[in-house]
This record gives sequence, C-alpha cells and structure tokens, in this order.
Amino acid sequence: MTGTALLFLVLGLGLVGWIAGRARASAFLRAAKGGPRGQVNSLPSYHGWFVAVCAVVPAIIFMFVWQSISPALVTNMVLAAPAASSLPQDGFARAAILSEARAIAQGLQATAFQSQSEALVPLYREALSYYQMLGLVGSLLLLFAGGAFAFTRLKPDFRARNKVERLVMLGLLLASLLAIITTLGIFASLIFEAYQFFSMVSPFEFLFGTNWNPKSVVTPGADNGYGAIPLFWGTIFIGAIIAMIVAIPLGLMSAIFLTQYASAKVRSWMKPILEILAGIPTVVYGYFAALTVAPAIRDFAVMLGVSNAASDNALAAGVVMGVMIIPLVSSMSDDSIAAVPSAMRDGSLAMGATKSETIKQVLLPAALPGVVGGILLAVSRAIGETMIVVMAAGYTANLTANPFDTITTVTVQIVALLTGDQDFGSPHTLAAFALGLALFVTTFFLNYVALRVVKRYREAYE
Amino acid sequence: MNKVTIDRTPTDWNGTAMQKRIARRYAAERRFRAIGFIAVALSTLFLAFLLFTMLGQGVRGFQRTEVAVDFDFPALTSGASVASISGANAQAALNSMDIPGVVELAVSQQFGEQGSALLTSAAAANVRQMLESDPELIGSKQRLWLPAESRIDIAYKRTGEPAAEKIVASLGENDALRTGFNWTFLTGADATDPSAVGIWAAFKGSLMTMAITLMLAFPIGVFAALYLEEYAPKNRLTDMIEVSINNLAAVPSIIFGLLGLAVFLTLFGMPRSSALVGGLTLALMTMPVIVIAGRNAVKSVPPSIREAALGIGASPVQVVFHHVLPLALPGILTGTIIGMARALGETAPLLMIGMRAFIPSAPQGFTDAATALPVQIYLWSDEVNQGFVEKTSAAIIVLLIFLLGMNALAIYLRNRFETRW
Repeated sequence: MTGTALLFLVLGLGLVGWIAGRARASAFLRAAKGGPRGQVNSLPSYHGWFVAVCAVVPAIIFMFVWQSISPALVTNMVLAAPAASSLPQDGFARAAILSEARAIAQGLQATAFQSQSEALVPLYREALSYYQMLGLVGSLLLLFAGGAFAFTRLKPDFRARNKVERLVMLGLLLASLLAIITTLGIFASLIFEAYQFFSMVSPFEFLFGTNWNPKSVVTPGADNGYGAIPLFWGTIFIGAIIAMIVAIPLGLMSAIFLTQYASAKVRSWMKPILEILAGIPTVVYGYFAALTVAPAIRDFAVMLGVSNAASDNALAAGVVMGVMIIPLVSSMSDDSIAAVPSAMRDGSLAMGATKSETIKQVLLPAALPGVVGGILLAVSRAIGETMIVVMAAGYTANLTANPFDTITTVTVQIVALLTGDQDFGSPHTLAAFALGLALFVTTFFLNYVALRVVKRYREAYE
Repeated sequence: MNKVTIDRTPTDWNGTAMQKRIARRYAAERRFRAIGFIAVALSTLFLAFLLFTMLGQGVRGFQRTEVAVDFDFPALTSGASVASISGANAQAALNSMDIPGVVELAVSQQFGEQGSALLTSAAAANVRQMLESDPELIGSKQRLWLPAESRIDIAYKRTGEPAAEKIVASLGENDALRTGFNWTFLTGADATDPSAVGIWAAFKGSLMTMAITLMLAFPIGVFAALYLEEYAPKNRLTDMIEVSINNLAAVPSIIFGLLGLAVFLTLFGMPRSSALVGGLTLALMTMPVIVIAGRNAVKSVPPSIREAALGIGASPVQVVFHHVLPLALPGILTGTIIGMARALGETAPLLMIGMRAFIPSAPQGFTDAATALPVQIYLWSDEVNQGFVEKTSAAIIVLLIFLLGMNALAIYLRNRFETRW
C-alpha cells in the first residue's frame, strides 16, 4: 500500500471517528432532554472532532516518522543478510549498488547496470514490504487506540470544546512557528554547507580574492579560483547601480505624478498598468532582455565606437531589472508621500509655493526615510534577482565598470555551479551555498534595516 | 543702539522682475510635471513594447506550416483495410502497420531524395491520429496536410536558410504549403525538434506544483495570520515570528531553491525534479505572502463583530472561525491568488531542485520527474535552433494569459466581496 493510499485510509477512518463521536454526543443530548439535568457541556460536533483528532493526529505523526526512519532500517536489514557480505567495503561503490537495488525493487528502474545489485533486489523487496507492513500495522493500531481512548472519554459533562480548542490553538501556533523554522532551516543549511566549503577553501580567498575561476579539485593553500570579489562587484554594479539609476527616477517620478498631478481617472488606470510590470515573471524579462534589449544595446555601443561591446552586456540586464523594480519603488514612495500629514502640504501651498516646490521642498524631505526604506528593499530585490541576469548577463567573472562589457553576478554563478549532475559534496556545489549565504546575509540585513526605517518613519507621523 | 530699518515698500507683483520670476517658477512647475508624465509614459511604453514583441513573435508559435503529401494508401500499406483498423484490434493493427515507414515512403515518392527532411518528427503520429479518427481514409488515395520540418517552417513564415527558401519556393508553386493551427503546441511535450514541441507537459507540471503549494501554503498561511492577529501575546517569540515572516517575504527566491536542494533532496532524499519537491519549495516561499495578506484582511474586520460574538457567549476560537474568518476570507483569497500567481511565474528555485530536465512526456504523478512552464521557457530560450524563438514567445503568451487571468480574478474578488465597514 502506498503512502498516499494509507493517508486517505487514515483520513477516512478519522471521518468515521468524527461521525461516531458526534452520534454518541447526540445520544447524550437526546437522553438529557428527557432527564432531570439537561446539561451537555459541548455541542455534538466538538465530540466528533475530539475523537477524529485523537485518532488521526498520532497516526499521521507516526507515518511521517516512519517514512523518514524506515529507509535506514531497510538498509540495515539488507546489510545484515548473508548475501550482502560480499559487497565492496568502499563506501561509495557500496552506496551505488545499494541505491540501484532499491530503485529496482521499488520499480523505479527496470534493469541493473551492476551485477551485484541484481542479487540484492529480492532482499530489498522483502525488507521493503516487511517494513511497509510494520508501518501500516503501527499507524492503524495507533489510530484505533487513539480513537477508542477518545471515544471512551465521551460523557455528557466532558469538556470536548475546551480540549478541541486547545488543540486548535496549538495548531495555529505551530503554523506560525513554521516561519521561524523556515528561516532557521535556511540559515542552518547555508551555514552547514558553507562551513564545509570553508574547510576546503579559505574564507580569506573567498571574500577578498579577485580571481573567480572555480576548480573542481581544490588544493589547500593554492589559488583555487574561488575569489568572489568580481561576483560581488558584478552584483552591485547590475543590481544596485544600473538598475537603480533606472528604477529610482522613474519609480519616484511616477509615484509623484500619479499621486499629485494625475486626475483620479488617469490614476485608476495607470496604477494597475504599472503593477502589471511587477506581475510579469522574471523569466519573461530575462528572455526579453536577452533577445531584444541586449542586441540593441550592443549595436548602439558599436555605433558609439565601443569596440569590446558584448552581446551579454551588463547594461541590458541592469536596465530591464530596473524596469521590473519600478513598481516596487513607486508603490513604496507612494505610501510614504501619502503618510506625510496634509497640514504640511497645505501650509506650503498656502504660503504661495507651487506644487512642484511643495513636493521638492516639503513632501520629499518629509517622506525621505520612507523612500529610502523602499529603495533599500528594491536593492535587496535586485541583487537577489536571478532569471534576468542568468539569461541576459554573462558567465564570465569580470572586474570592470564598463556597462557594455560582460559581467557576472552571485546568482548567475549559483545557478552555473549547481547546473548538471554533480556530487553534492563537491567544492562547486558547496561554493554555491557559500555564495547563497553571502546573498542571504546581505538581503536579510538590507530588509531588516529597510523595514525598521519605514516603521520608525510611520510612527513619527502617527 | 541701531535702529534696523525695514524696507516697507510693497512687492511690485506686476513689475518685470517679479513677473519674470513667477514665469520662471511656473516653467519649473511645468517641467516637473512633464518629467513625471514622461516617467509614467516610459514605464507604460516599455510594458507595451515588451507585450508587443512577445505577441508579435509568439503568434507564429501557434501556427505551423503544413505540407500536402499524397498518400496512395492501398499501395503503401499493402492490404490494410478499413475493417482491420476500425475494430477492437485497431491499436494493434496500427502498431503493426509501420506508419513512420509509410510516411517516409510517401514523401520520397512525391518529393524525391530530400522528401524525408520535409516533415517534422511528429508527422507519423499525426497520420496515425488521422487514421484513428477516420479509418475510411485507408481505402483510397488521400492528400493529407502534415506539419513541416522546422527549417521549412521558418522559411515559409519569414526568411530562413537559402536552401530551405528554395524548397519553399518550389513547394509554393505547387500549392503544397499552407499555414495551420499548431495543436501539437498545446497538447505535446518537449522535443528536440522545435516543430514538434508542446507545452502540455510543462503546464501539467506547473499545475501539479501549484496544487501542492496551495494545499500547504494556504492553510498554514491562514492559520499563522489568524494566530498573529487574534491570539498572539506580545512577547519575544511573537516578535521573532513577525521578523521571520517579513524577512521571508523578501528573501531572494533562489535561496528557497538552495533550501529545497539541501533539505528536501539531500537530507530527506525526496525524488529529484518532482512536482512534490517543487511544490514544497514554492509553498515555503508563498506562505509569508499569504500571511501578510491574511493579516491585513483579518485586521480590517471591525472589533464590534468580535465583541458582539463574545457577548452572546462564543468562545475565542468560535469568534474567529465562525465570524472573523468568513468576513476576512475574500481579502485572504485575493492575497492567496496573487501569491500563487507569483509562484506560478517563479523559475529560479525550481532550477535549483533540478526541474530543468528534458521531459518528453507529461508527468503522471507527484513524484515523477516534471518541469514547469517558466522553466520550460528558460530551457527553450537557451536552444540554439531558431525555431525555438517563436515557441518560447508562444509559451510566454500562455504563461502571461494565465497570470493576467489570476490577477483579474483577484481584482474581481476584491471588488465583488470587499466590505467597507
């Protein structure tokens, strides 16, 4: 029986438990109606929920635990068999044979490429079905035990609602904790893999080296081509400089025009249109940048007399990324300008200042913290953007400030390093996690500062 | 003590100096306004240019060039009759007929040596479908329109290689070429030949991934939003949850891909490039978006509703699940749809977990190797063959239509069910 079918069986039995519990409680109600003390603590459906939850939750937890530990148990059982004693001692070859035998036994693979795995297939089949059976019996036993326990506790004065509500609160809390777990998971996995990487390549080389040309075999002490400075520079150049030169003026001026000058009708049309820009997938932007914008910019550069203009130039990726970010800058500026108290604006206008003078000298200075917060968020978004640069920017690490030259970024290199079927422990894979860690820490810091700035600014005017 | 003398002559507003100054200020005002207008116009123009380019190229991706091929079925199949391919054994009879061979023979009889290079690799499958739907064809001579090979296709639609142009010119004289709707593009899967590719496999992969994402991210996101807005006490833990959620909403998507690779694939050993892992990864990414939208929706439900419910004896859980949640649901759904639209367009995390494999047929289950529509777009954009350009744009059109549809649904829901308290 597959995991999905078992899950449905468990849920179905849970439904049976719900109906049984509810029926029992309804019987209490009917009995109480005729009796002297018409007191049933909770509504019948709460009794039903109590039985269902007590039956299903332990069974499902058991199923997940079993799913995660049973592969190891199966392997142990296979290794304990006499046929497995002839396996090579070398860990890598051994693991390859075992995984192939398992794949055949599960029906994922048709034929064996290694002769030894053929012999292990029946063993695997036996072990798999044995532990699957054990898991099935275990979860069903738990289910019935839980259900029976809950069912016997049902009494007219049983506080089913309080119990169920406490479980609901626990569920809500667990759902909220998932955010922390995810953050910690990201942090832990990045740190763990990056630590392995830095035990091979010195952090000094990674952070301050200027030569990015990663070798797959690492020799300690030598230059292994893991100097990430060109990548950091490329990321900043495309994401924080070129993209922002496009996004800040256009986004800010769009926000000003739409909030201060445009009529309500124009505003109600133009705002959603700008938001479409934010909704277009980045892969579309990337394709557009690579197919249309980059060749146009290269031709333009050649026309200007730039001889080494590349077709995967930094300018195309940066400009398109800037356009993508316009709505973000625009909506953040919009919010902060709207938060400036109207007394300040009215005062300035009443003194005879024109609208643009009011905007430039009163509104913008007052809204500046909010705008800066929005720009920081935009920068964080730009340096983490992947598809546009993967498709439009280059793969060659290049420490240059020439926007017509090819340049690579952190995210491009993460994708490049993880492309292809590589061994998970190879320095290439681990380097991708080290780059990921650098990216995560930077964006975390930017987001944290930006949100604090925006929050403090909002409080100042409230 | 000096007496400060103040010039009390009134400003001469009509004097030339003042008029000049006012004119200058008004000019600055107009300039500023014009700059604002230009900013909006530039952004809109860029959007229009992008959509126009995609549309212009993509339309050709939905069309295919068809070549008229004469099939003398009685001679070619030597004895296959209408009865043999229409009964219960139709599939077996068709299998034994060697249709690719029949097509090969027919084109080489008609066009000579170069004939077999005219048709796409999917042509035989097309012939088979035609025979299945209309067994009568096999009894006589037929002129069938079959999809042309990619180079011919390009040469017929625009300018291609000189050799292909020559063939097109000679075929055109005999009226042996026409443009038809490319059904294969909507029903097929990835292929090496651009005239035989389709998006169905990638689209199904996307749908399956989205199903997993929705099943996980929606309940968890709503529960977290309810907890944080309605029950959470003000303490360190709640602050940490809030910081995590705000931060997760802004973490680059590629980081989630790294998490999926390290945790789901390597630590838990889940099947690589499957819709299951893709859905899990995107669910982690979408959850914070739903939480933030959900909190805003819950916050906008007025306190009087809660107090009234509490007043007639509802427990705090009943207040939230019977009254607050149904009232906040339209807002939550709007946020969810927007979050799902974002997840549907997401590419980078799926690349990290290996959903970039070549998938020649649609995935059958959640653990099968699958790809997603945006990843398919990325893969096709990398192809050298010129025929993929219009296919990529056509796939982009399909993706954009879906995203716009989802966003329009969100806006409709918001306008239809939004309550102003």
